[in-house]
Amino acid sequence: MRKIRDTNLMILSSDDEDDCDYKPNSHRSYTKKPKSRSFITRTNPRQPKKPRVSGSRSRFSRDSPNLFEVGFPEEDFEELFSWSKVSADSGRSNVKELWVDKHKPHSLEELAVHKKKVEEVKSWFEERLKTTKGNLINNVVVINGKAGVGKSTTIQVIASHFGARLCEWNTPTPTIWQEHVHNTNTGIQYTSKLDEFVNFIEKIRKYGLIPSSSSEDAKPSIILLIDDLPMTNGRVAFERLQSCLLHLVRSTQLPTAILVSDYDEADSADHTARRLEQLQLSLENAGACKVSFNPITNNSIKKTLSRICRQEQCSVTDEQLDLIAKGSGGDIRHAITSLQLFCVKPDLVLNGSYSTPSYSYGKEDDIDALVSGISLLFGRDETLSLFHALGKFLHNKRETEVANAITPGDAFLVQENFSRLPLKMDAPEKVLCQAHGQARPVTDFLHENVLDFISDEAMDDAWHVSSYFSDSDLLLSSFRGMLARYNEAENVLQSAAASVAVRGVLFGNSHPSPPRWHAIRKPKLWQVEKSMLHNQKEIVRQRFIAYNGSSSCNVSDVATGYMPLLKWLEHRASGFEDNQALVYCNKTDGESCDRMGLDDKESDISDDEIEEW
Amino acid sequence: MAPLLQSSQPWVEKYRPKQIKDVAHQDEVVRVLTNTLETANCPHMLFYGPPGTGKTTTALAIAHQLYGPELYKSRVLELNASDDRGINVVRTKIKDFAAVAVGSGQRQGVYPCPPYKIIILDEADSMTEDAQNALRRTMETYSKVTRFFFICNYISRIIEPLASRCAKFRFKPLPEEIMSNRILHICNEEGLTLETEALSTLSSVSQGDLRRAITYLQGAARLFGSSISSKDLISVSGAIPREVTEAIYAACKNGDFDLANKEVNDVIAEGYPVSQMLAQLFEVVVEVDDISDEQKARICKSLATADKCLVDGADEYLQLLDVVSNTMRSLCNMPQEFSYDI
Amino acid sequence: MLWVDKYRPKTLDQVIVHQETAENLKKLVTEQDCPHLLFYGPSGSGKKTLIMALLRQIFGTSAEKVKVENRTWKIDAGSRTIDLELTTLSSTNHVELSPSDAGFQDRYIVQEIIKEMAKNRPIDTKGKKGYKVLVLNEVDKLSREAQHSLRRTMEKYSASCRLILCCNSSSKVTEAIRSRCLNVRINAPKEEQIVKVLEFIGKKEGLQLPPGFAARVADKSNRSLRRAILSFETCRVQQYPFSSNQAIPPMDWEEYVSEICSDIMREQSPKRLFQVRGKLYELLINCIPPEIILKKLLSELLKKLDEELKHEVCHWAAYYEHRMRMGQKAIFHLEAFVAKFMSIYKAFLIATFG
Repeated sequence: MRKIRDTNLMILSSDDEDDCDYKPNSHRSYTKKPKSRSFITRTNPRQPKKPRVSGSRSRFSRDSPNLFEVGFPEEDFEELFSWSKVSADSGRSNVKELWVDKHKPHSLEELAVHKKKVEEVKSWFEERLKTTKGNLINNVVVINGKAGVGKSTTIQVIASHFGARLCEWNTPTPTIWQEHVHNTNTGIQYTSKLDEFVNFIEKIRKYGLIPSSSSEDAKPSIILLIDDLPMTNGRVAFERLQSCLLHLVRSTQLPTAILVSDYDEADSADHTARRLEQLQLSLENAGACKVSFNPITNNSIKKTLSRICRQEQCSVTDEQLDLIAKGSGGDIRHAITSLQLFCVKPDLVLNGSYSTPSYSYGKEDDIDALVSGISLLFGRDETLSLFHALGKFLHNKRETEVANAITPGDAFLVQENFSRLPLKMDAPEKVLCQAHGQARPVTDFLHENVLDFISDEAMDDAWHVSSYFSDSDLLLSSFRGMLARYNEAENVLQSAAASVAVRGVLFGNSHPSPPRWHAIRKPKLWQVEKSMLHNQKEIVRQRFIAYNGSSSCNVSDVATGYMPLLKWLEHRASGFEDNQALVYCNKTDGESCDRMGLDDKESDISDDEIEEW
Repeated sequence: MAPLLQSSQPWVEKYRPKQIKDVAHQDEVVRVLTNTLETANCPHMLFYGPPGTGKTTTALAIAHQLYGPELYKSRVLELNASDDRGINVVRTKIKDFAAVAVGSGQRQGVYPCPPYKIIILDEADSMTEDAQNALRRTMETYSKVTRFFFICNYISRIIEPLASRCAKFRFKPLPEEIMSNRILHICNEEGLTLETEALSTLSSVSQGDLRRAITYLQGAARLFGSSISSKDLISVSGAIPREVTEAIYAACKNGDFDLANKEVNDVIAEGYPVSQMLAQLFEVVVEVDDISDEQKARICKSLATADKCLVDGADEYLQLLDVVSNTMRSLCNMPQEFSYDI
Repeated sequence: MLWVDKYRPKTLDQVIVHQETAENLKKLVTEQDCPHLLFYGPSGSGKKTLIMALLRQIFGTSAEKVKVENRTWKIDAGSRTIDLELTTLSSTNHVELSPSDAGFQDRYIVQEIIKEMAKNRPIDTKGKKGYKVLVLNEVDKLSREAQHSLRRTMEKYSASCRLILCCNSSSKVTEAIRSRCLNVRINAPKEEQIVKVLEFIGKKEGLQLPPGFAARVADKSNRSLRRAILSFETCRVQQYPFSSNQAIPPMDWEEYVSEICSDIMREQSPKRLFQVRGKLYELLINCIPPEIILKKLLSELLKKLDEELKHEVCHWAAYYEHRMRMGQKAIFHLEAFVAKFMSIYKAFLIATFG
């Protein structure tokens, strides 16, 4: 029997009938089951969360198809893990287990996450766990970060550190259609995962957790962990989720951690990303605490990897470790898995069919082959967030002087006033590509924010930048209304327009304002366009009022002629009317900018970190 | 009811020649086509030239003369820009029509009725390139039983492969005498009297476009009665009175921006079409004696750019003001480069 | 009901301004031969009024009984069906619509809808005309393809359907259409004519006009009759009895543009540009067309600039307005113009005053 990791996990089953059927089992640490919805325990993060369980635990399977249990008997384990069978020659001690699980950190020191962050979270929990009153308003911490950065591991380790019991919700896989059909055939009802989640939260909130009578502590401390939010499709579902979480934030008695994975960061044209941000913002406004986990540094990853290597007794050189660490992009789970794969078949890479050069030429080429091989196999698609990209463009960091002497005949010489210092970043197009920036949103964002970054004296720069935006807009509109067959050309134009806008900003801003923190605002233009359309619809409706109704008036005539008069007449007739669509307000600047919680992304990164870019 | 209809018919339609020999001035074309009528042997045709010179008239006349009213519907397919002529239509409708077999040529009474069909594509320059390309193949495949007549204003808009398969006929703008003859003929028919200069005014104002001349004539007749003067024709045609153009030019020569601005505002307020104003300014500038070639060249350049911008849809006032400003700077020898330009 | 509509002449006889044109039109239609017509001229000069009066002349009072219809047309364009929604005003003998409402699908309106309408000939009872009239608004906004389609339709269906086209500037209407229509130029009324109309309205409303008051209103109206009458009514609402030096309130958006102008002239910097951008947004939200903003801004600036700068500024205004037409987001180009002006002006100030 394998040793199950000794975390204080609790499984809460779904219904009452299970209570009578309760059989103590030495594998698990059950406690008495209060009435709350069931959820999954997670043994293997990489495993797809199977809704079906193995036959021997059938009593759960009937009612909660998403239960996934800890401690399988050998055969089940084999069956489920067969895909990861490692060759027996490798001589590892237990080949069937994934290193990610095997080498899970058990103590705070083993965590690869940045110490400061761990401290932060730990002290937060400490505070909550100490005071038993639970009068604190903010009992919820929202932890966000990319996948594999150590969020849930941290919570688990902290929980075991404090001896608290961890009550976990793992988001189950949404049921796909084939599955649903299959399930209905076998009589299992479809339950919306969102419903389950909402019910679970409600129950937790209302009833708390009934402490186990069999446990030793008088009052065991409990930490609630919500690992990843259920998928919501559509505004209604999202709002349900939001209100449920807000209730939780406001009224929970248990210290709770909500983990949110950021998938691709903020192309704000993307609905789901935007909704997630909105959700996080509203949770924060309701009083939750927010911690951002950054991608794990290469050094930490390397340290962890070398530790694992020692334990597993495999020999990996330092450069190779370095490469693996670099290729993982801050995701330690990825790095460990890559390491495992690498150790399984170190010659896999060199025999690989990828474009590795022949390695028989010498040691150097070995490394090169390794490099290309590894980066191909283990490399991670570096996605840069849109905001990072925008920040790079706007801050416009340059070398302080021209690094190389210009060899005559080599470089492209420009006039004095056109020359600029070399950029401190990759080619802007590459940065754009990594950020998956689309031309329109990028241009709008840059337009909204660039004026903050230009020094106040440099009016000419402001004009240059504006003129490039004007050019970019022309390029983007060239194919207005054309047919889809011009798609090829359209893509070229889009990329050209994005390039023009970005390079225009970089070139035009030759006298940047002294660097200080600026929030990057969402383009106000989008709001303006929405209001304009709305007003236009209004006006179109009014159009037929003119000419005694026997004819119609042009929209522009109505807007410039009739509307002011009508407004004036109304104004007179009814005292003061705040017909907000038609009133000109002399807003002072600064008030009207639409600051969203997107700013907070920036706020987490101090000026020092900005330098890194 | 029938008399009502006839009098409300535009004279352009009413006096449209039904026979080829009546088509004015396009001798070469007429000759070839008359030959066609006799031998009933006809290549693919491409008629091109400025508007109002008789292209559609000729094509329709030929078609009518070849087939007569009875067979016309089945042997002639007419498609113009108001019909959908995308690539789908080319592949289906046109191809299907072209593929229909035709009986052997036998004379149906007066009409030669040759053993092929005719497809008339009017305003062919507005067909997309893809549609034109698709047409090539059809032309080749069915050339035995179908002839294509293309009518367009600019031959450059017809793709080379199509144009090379056709016999090209250029329709020239009509000279003054020909137009005058025709106009006088219509005047006789309709019982109008023209003042002495009205005839020459009409031909200058219509610029070789017979359709336009007849339309102006009809318009003037309706608006001003059966005695028509030069002034009436000018106001109907939308030409700008010479005084206005000269006032603008004088203001430019003067060098006072505000005065010129006022003149421009007046032009806009009067509603004169600015593209017309540019054309007339152009004539004035070209003819004037006392400025250098370089100045003229500069002015014409700004006229051309303004015209292009107008076609793109820019605002008339701003473009005219820009032209006037450029003209002023050329005429008064102000520095050409902006001193505050970067 | 606003005075603009209340005192609008309903028949060609009642027309005060453009009397000559009205007479000619009357002659035109009484002789039962109405060709296609194109009315063009600046805004507020009375084109629509004349068209409605003309229809009344042709069809009698039935032309005034219109109903607004919101129809959806299903158009089969080759591989796909397009749904077009269009609002039309129709009476028994005429239909009025704005094809440019359909945006870049206006071509289909012209090809299908007009053909359909043109095909249905009205039943001709004695004395009535044997044709229907189709009034198209804003034809200068039609796309090129739509105008191409229109010209052939005009030729083909001229027996059963007459088109009356209305636009602001005939430069944007293609040659082909202009040559198939009788072009009627409606110029902006002269100030004396406007004064006459204002006095007429004043008399009808029983108002006392101090001397010169009407002239001042006419002067401020920039030769737009609609504008003048609207201002007149605003003055009435603002204060009556009129005082002889009463201020004529400008339109609020015009005042706002003047503010922008003074802002620009006072300070030229990126910060100021950002503030101006906010104000431009306000104007855009209220659906003031961007080219009107630009023109008004230019005219305000020209009042205050030195001679040498005027040429340059108007060149850039024309340049950016043209780009604005071809682009999609007006604010980029408006802002570029303002930035360029600031840049020029700043350089000028530095050069002149050091």
